[in-house]
Amino acid sequence: MKFPARPAQIPPQLPEWDPSWSRIVEAATPDGTHEFHVLDTLPVLRAAGLEPEGTILALHGNPTWSYLWRRLARATVETARAGGRVWRLIAPDQLEMGFSERFAHEAMPTPKSDEVRRIADRLNDFDAVVTTLIAEVAGSGSAAHPIVTIGHDWGGVLSLGWAARNSDIVSAAISLNTAVHQPEDTPIPAPLRATLAGPMLPTATVLTDWFLRVTMSLGDLSAETKSAFSAPYRSAADRWAIGNFVADIPVDANHPSDPELQRIGKDIAAFDKPALLVWGPKDPVFLERYLRDLRSRLPQADLHRFETASHLVSEDHAVPGLVLDWLDAQFGTAAAASAKESTTGADDDPAATAAPARAVTAILDARRDDEAIASVDFAQNPAQQISWRHLWHVTTSIANGLLGLGVKPGDRVSMLVPPGNNLTAALYACLKIGAVAVVADAGLGPKGMTRAITSADPQWIIGELPGLTLARAFGWPGRRISVTPLGPVRSRLFKAETSLTALSRTEHRAELPAPAAGDDAAILFTSGSTGPAKGVRYTHANISALAAVLTRVFDVREGTGLVAGFPPFALLGPAIGATSVTPDMSVTKPKTLTASAIADAIIAGRATMVFASPAAYRNVAATAGQLDAQQRAACARVELVLSAGAPVPLELMDAIAEVFPNASIHSPYGMTEGLLLTDIDRAGVAEADATGGLGVCVGRPIDGVELALAPIDDAGNSAEELLQGEASRGRLGEFVVSAAHIKSGYDNLWRTTADSARDGMHGLTWHRTNDIGHIDDAGRVWLEGRLQHVVTTARGPVGPGGLEALVDTDAQVSRSAVVGIGPVGTQALVVVLDAEGTALSPGVAPLDLTARLREQIAGVGGHDLAAVLVAPEFPTDIRHNSKIDRSRLAAWADRVLAGGPVRGRIRG
Amino acid sequence: MRITVTGASGLLGSSVARALVTSGHEVTTLQRRPSGVDGAADVLGSVTDAKSVEHAVTGAEAVVHLAAKVSMMGDPKEFEAVNIGGTRTLVDAARTAGVPRLVHISSPSVAHTGDSIIGDGAEAATPEFARGEYARTKGAGERIALGADSPDFRVLVLRPHLMWGPGDTQLTERIIDRARAGRMPVLGSGAALVDTLFVDNAVEAIVAAVSAVDTTHGESLVVTNGQPRAIGELMSRIAIAGGAGEPKLRIPVAPALAAGSVVEKVWALGEHDDEPPLTRFLAEQLSTAHWFDQRRTQEVLGWTPRVSIEEGMEILAAHYA
Repeated sequence: MKFPARPAQIPPQLPEWDPSWSRIVEAATPDGTHEFHVLDTLPVLRAAGLEPEGTILALHGNPTWSYLWRRLARATVETARAGGRVWRLIAPDQLEMGFSERFAHEAMPTPKSDEVRRIADRLNDFDAVVTTLIAEVAGSGSAAHPIVTIGHDWGGVLSLGWAARNSDIVSAAISLNTAVHQPEDTPIPAPLRATLAGPMLPTATVLTDWFLRVTMSLGDLSAETKSAFSAPYRSAADRWAIGNFVADIPVDANHPSDPELQRIGKDIAAFDKPALLVWGPKDPVFLERYLRDLRSRLPQADLHRFETASHLVSEDHAVPGLVLDWLDAQFGTAAAASAKESTTGADDDPAATAAPARAVTAILDARRDDEAIASVDFAQNPAQQISWRHLWHVTTSIANGLLGLGVKPGDRVSMLVPPGNNLTAALYACLKIGAVAVVADAGLGPKGMTRAITSADPQWIIGELPGLTLARAFGWPGRRISVTPLGPVRSRLFKAETSLTALSRTEHRAELPAPAAGDDAAILFTSGSTGPAKGVRYTHANISALAAVLTRVFDVREGTGLVAGFPPFALLGPAIGATSVTPDMSVTKPKTLTASAIADAIIAGRATMVFASPAAYRNVAATAGQLDAQQRAACARVELVLSAGAPVPLELMDAIAEVFPNASIHSPYGMTEGLLLTDIDRAGVAEADATGGLGVCVGRPIDGVELALAPIDDAGNSAEELLQGEASRGRLGEFVVSAAHIKSGYDNLWRTTADSARDGMHGLTWHRTNDIGHIDDAGRVWLEGRLQHVVTTARGPVGPGGLEALVDTDAQVSRSAVVGIGPVGTQALVVVLDAEGTALSPGVAPLDLTARLREQIAGVGGHDLAAVLVAPEFPTDIRHNSKIDRSRLAAWADRVLAGGPVRGRIRG
Repeated sequence: MRITVTGASGLLGSSVARALVTSGHEVTTLQRRPSGVDGAADVLGSVTDAKSVEHAVTGAEAVVHLAAKVSMMGDPKEFEAVNIGGTRTLVDAARTAGVPRLVHISSPSVAHTGDSIIGDGAEAATPEFARGEYARTKGAGERIALGADSPDFRVLVLRPHLMWGPGDTQLTERIIDRARAGRMPVLGSGAALVDTLFVDNAVEAIVAAVSAVDTTHGESLVVTNGQPRAIGELMSRIAIAGGAGEPKLRIPVAPALAAGSVVEKVWALGEHDDEPPLTRFLAEQLSTAHWFDQRRTQEVLGWTPRVSIEEGMEILAAHYA
């Protein structure tokens, strides 16, 4: 079969493609002058009177073409027009790819063929064409005009290699899914293996469009977009280079391109400029191990994972916005470049540096000879009680053992151990040597945990059998350590190299490495109720600050006995010097905590404080009748009851007070990103209830927390401007907080971190909570839902939680969701009721109930209630079974109110 | 101001004429029967008659054009004669007479192609895709009116949506009559969200348009109460206000649409002039969402609906008590 040569072409009209981006460029490569089709925004920019202040060099992979960068092109031009930095985008089509020149060929591409254009050739091609184009704008590559590379697939490796070899003029590099290196000990991914199998190659890649179609399916592409990507590859002759690329994959050390790929890999590892990696984890070819390899070569790289994205990550998600935000953080606008400070660096963060000097493990170390009780664990049978001296020895031994095993400071250790002495020991051993604990709770379910743990990419797993079983079944990363010795058969099965028990017998040999205050201490995962669970990073300073808050605000101090039935706080006892007691309960099922169990825990730890969740207290109150005289007396000694995880209604506070008659009852508000933000006690709840305010009152900011409000506009967005004091009162807004004990960032979510911490008021680091509500005249915080659940009516934005609280007071209602239907800014306000536990049947609610709710809602803010629907089912979050999934109910209501069936599925 | 109102024998037209008289305007009306509006000068005639039209608009400073052929069925030529021909005659005559303002009353159905309308604005009229002769000819008429817009002949188009209230024979009375006879059906779940307009608000919006046309013109505006309601609830409340019980008869959507004429039969339409329509495509309208973005309308007219749906229901109940 013969393949004819043809010159480069201009693409036809294509969706989202601006024809004025297209250029044919001749460039002298080592084997002669060739014609490239190039996406270049220079003409468009100059036509708009804009002169480039930076250049982005973009390179596609196989089998895409510069069409891949159309959205980045549009975004850069729009940003430039809007007064942002003027970035020129240059994105060539590789030779024989896209609309660039095709060469004549006599035969099909094969791995050893002389006609195959090799990686080394392609680096030269890229160099030739971009060097030609860069020269058109004087000063390109200077400090005032940075050059940044971006690539995808093969274009990722090639562009990174070019950046590394031209680091004198390149200021930063970005790559989407790519791979630099094929580890010798792992097989290449199955889809590629199939394609590479000798005779298959030409058929899969050249003779048919199979490879092209498979690639186009690895992303969220419309039929028009797929067609546009396929435009330059309509005939076999046009597809020769698709086969060329596949034939040039260095599958082993004998492949002609292997030496060059090894060199590129080494060069990339020497690149020390800022880098950004953008990753779609659902890619079947570019697997997590390639990301791990890249990160080891580019340790300075920022990473943003789009958890739901596949290979064509830039088609799935807002990559242009991420790229521009990141470039802005590196270079700023040309004018403001020097003025703008980085908002993400922990080093210049006053909140972090102002943190208490005391290390998390300092008290534990100080009490190494203390025989007093440090921890009691009722989860063990019989209950296990350990002294401070014992705890210090065990944690120090395990720390030594971990070091001996090869755990390095900064390594991540996934904790698949329920709260209790074992978890405490493992955690404090890790904290002592600067290993980072990864905690994803079982409430996420196996799929959610898999996604979370894969994204955190721990080097180690410490687990009990249930955890190790999941790790084995779902292929979680990390070398395994069991809690107790498993015996030879099960150790092999679960690949457990050792056990905590064995490690706890290690001699204290080494001087332990001391982690710095700014080093990561833990990654805690969010509940994932609004998208994939996010890893939240806490530094040692953050954890120390959190322990200090418990002392300052709730008087938890050395010697205090506390019953810890709420996981995050259960772990802080040793940091404070408090005696912690883990009651007999299942962590994932707080309802299993009984009054007797809590009383026994109080007696064992001589506790005066109890920490648990509202669901646990509900069961404690329900089972209080079982208490004997001694247990009741123990409960009467409790001075502080703290309920965390969800707000506590007054009736539950009253029920708790029956069990703990002498305790003050507090319900702090917080989230994974900031565990203690505001606080309210029983009297406060009663007082707030009496005001008739809308929403859930969570009290006032605790000492050490700065609270601000970002008002919400008619489109439902929170303002950039932050309000405090009088100006923040009585208006709907997003709560924004600053404190030493809030998160240091999100894990592997560069843009999410940057967005959440974008405020710089008073020189502090702030956190956008995504929670909305209002602050009343007395300075109390009222929650009214999440930012994405704001209903934007023509009369202004409405917080759903406030109106739900009102609706729920109706005798015919069990629970409700307030949602908006229709376009932003003119949404119809709709109440959806849960049919369960009521006499209501699914569909439109009865007239009298509708009239009553409409009148109530009109009475508080003049809002017009369009309709009241009764839903056949009511989706809530997995972890707490209390957060109503308003988004799903809104989608259901949207269909019903458009005339659709009532009996549709609500759960997604 | 000297204002000519066409189609003033119907509820909306006569109410507008009366409101303008009350506000101190000098009002001339044009319709085939006497308007019955005290203080207005009646010109009896049809908008299809150029002489009557010329007579009615000469000397006017504004024209409010409500006259239309409103019906479910009928000879397409009749629709064309009134809704297209009549509008052209009126526009020509008004321009010739140097009238500077025209408020043209149209219908949201001119832009309705059968899909749900969920918080949309006033899309351009598309008579080529219209459902039925009324919508088709009103769409063409609206184009003629808007096409004549210029700084010297300022045209503003209002599209009132599903008007109801005391005296409304088209929607309100039919629902009440049917409900009393136990033959008022609710289509499907009755949850489709629809916008409606209480008659007093319609009148005030049109009066507001006579002033607003000086600052904004060449534009169409849908006018509603801005309070979308589930169609089932709305019809039930009208029925109850009219002294009938809550309608219990439910029929599935699909057969109603398939038969096409179920609604026609139930609603037993006759020939009527000068009022918003109840046509056969109402079966679709009553089972799909139809509600609108009112922000632009309220901004341009400097008007907000004074009577809420709930207040309107009380007024209606008092009317039928």
